[in-house]
Amino acid sequence: MNHEVAVTGLGVMAPHGGEPDTLFQALLQGRSAIQPVFPDLPKPAAAATAAFDETRWFTKLQLAGVDRVSQLAVAAADMAMRDAGLVIADTDPERVGVFAGCGMGGAAALEAAYRGNGRVSPLTIPAFMPNAPAAHVAMRQGVQGPVLTYSVACASSSAAIAEAAKAVQRGEVDVAIAGGSEALIVPGVVVAWQAMQTLATFQPGEAAGAVRPFATDRSGFALGEGAAFLILESAERARARGARRYATLAGWGLSSDATHLTKPDAPGQARALRAALRQAGLQPRDVGYCNAHGTATRIGDVVERNALADVWGDHLDALRVSSTKALHGHMLGAAGAIEALVTVLALHQRQLPPNANCREIDPDCSLNLVTPNESAAPSLEAAISNSFAFGGTNSVLLFRRA
Amino acid sequence: MSSLKELQDLIHEKYGIEPSKLDPHASMRETGGLDSLALAEFLFAIEDHFGITMPDEDASIDTLAELALLVDKVRAAKTA
Repeated sequence: MNHEVAVTGLGVMAPHGGEPDTLFQALLQGRSAIQPVFPDLPKPAAAATAAFDETRWFTKLQLAGVDRVSQLAVAAADMAMRDAGLVIADTDPERVGVFAGCGMGGAAALEAAYRGNGRVSPLTIPAFMPNAPAAHVAMRQGVQGPVLTYSVACASSSAAIAEAAKAVQRGEVDVAIAGGSEALIVPGVVVAWQAMQTLATFQPGEAAGAVRPFATDRSGFALGEGAAFLILESAERARARGARRYATLAGWGLSSDATHLTKPDAPGQARALRAALRQAGLQPRDVGYCNAHGTATRIGDVVERNALADVWGDHLDALRVSSTKALHGHMLGAAGAIEALVTVLALHQRQLPPNANCREIDPDCSLNLVTPNESAAPSLEAAISNSFAFGGTNSVLLFRRA
Repeated sequence: MSSLKELQDLIHEKYGIEPSKLDPHASMRETGGLDSLALAEFLFAIEDHFGITMPDEDASIDTLAELALLVDKVRAAKTA
């Protein structure tokens, strides 16, 4: 039998802090966490970094060989477990899993190795490996079931959550700690992204408003760092233990463009959107909010709009859309998880974060964008979160009110 | 000249381990929680602190007292 998948815990450590509600309020108010970084680089750079006190989770000895990407994951996953009111001692540890997305791994460890003048920490490899965050979460929580890492670029943690949901749905695990982390705000990675020509340009003093999804004057995204985890378990189990249910993860859709490594493809995205709707047994008109992938690149936003228009058809105007990347940056391997968390909170509180920094919408991106003063969504019943990756993998998560 | 006190201070500073918690003659791996990889990393801190280069081969060192002896030797060779 298939179990209904409930979201019973949320944890985050991101540019807007370490509390889901603080993050959500900041987004509702349109507060940007993007600011200039690395003033010594040849080209101006901006990013959203997480103010994070790692000593709350680690002793100095424990920090040896643990990259920031794993530190953030341990903190966010720990808070998600606490939020769900779960301790491993009350569960069968072999029936708990960690499903973690990570695009790159421990960037700071690798950067330090390059810059060490030949002296390289013997812990560089275990610090850098992309599955280290999942492993550290498992060790911290005592998880003995499947501990898996999904590296699917910008869709990593969305795909991880979809895979976790499958495991819960099929009864393979009782509890899934699902999400992701990314921490690559180091000079070597920032210049590589600048070379890719996908980062937003900005005038001095205007970094906070540099990312303008769906706007005529958009020029790309800013990198962000952080981690977010959701606790998934069957609705029966959640009910039996009296757990709060934030939402139901009712559908997920995974598809591949199979066309180009970096160029997005509307038909591929539409396939993922349709798959998520089909699995949830919902029609497009049933879904009231879309947390868009919305990277604010010239081509990406138009392609996403076209995919939504293709699937939603005449109901496109009833779908309210925003990309919160304008405020928390593009967290890459953690993007799907933090945006899923934001989508769950939007549904739970029936409030929508605005699509910030869009003074004039690009006619080619014509969508019903959430404006800053219209956050209320009193009749919202279902919402989706889109994640579309380099490599052509598309992942859509569809949440219903519990 | 013994480097023991300075090493104890360095371990305290870097890993938060009180000198009283780490018997200089006990195994650092077994009682101090410093595994071989953490120890290898600690050698970097020693090199920075004393301005010396530690030899590569000494994987046999197990206690803080042994480590202090080696540091003494390297420092003596440097000043000689």
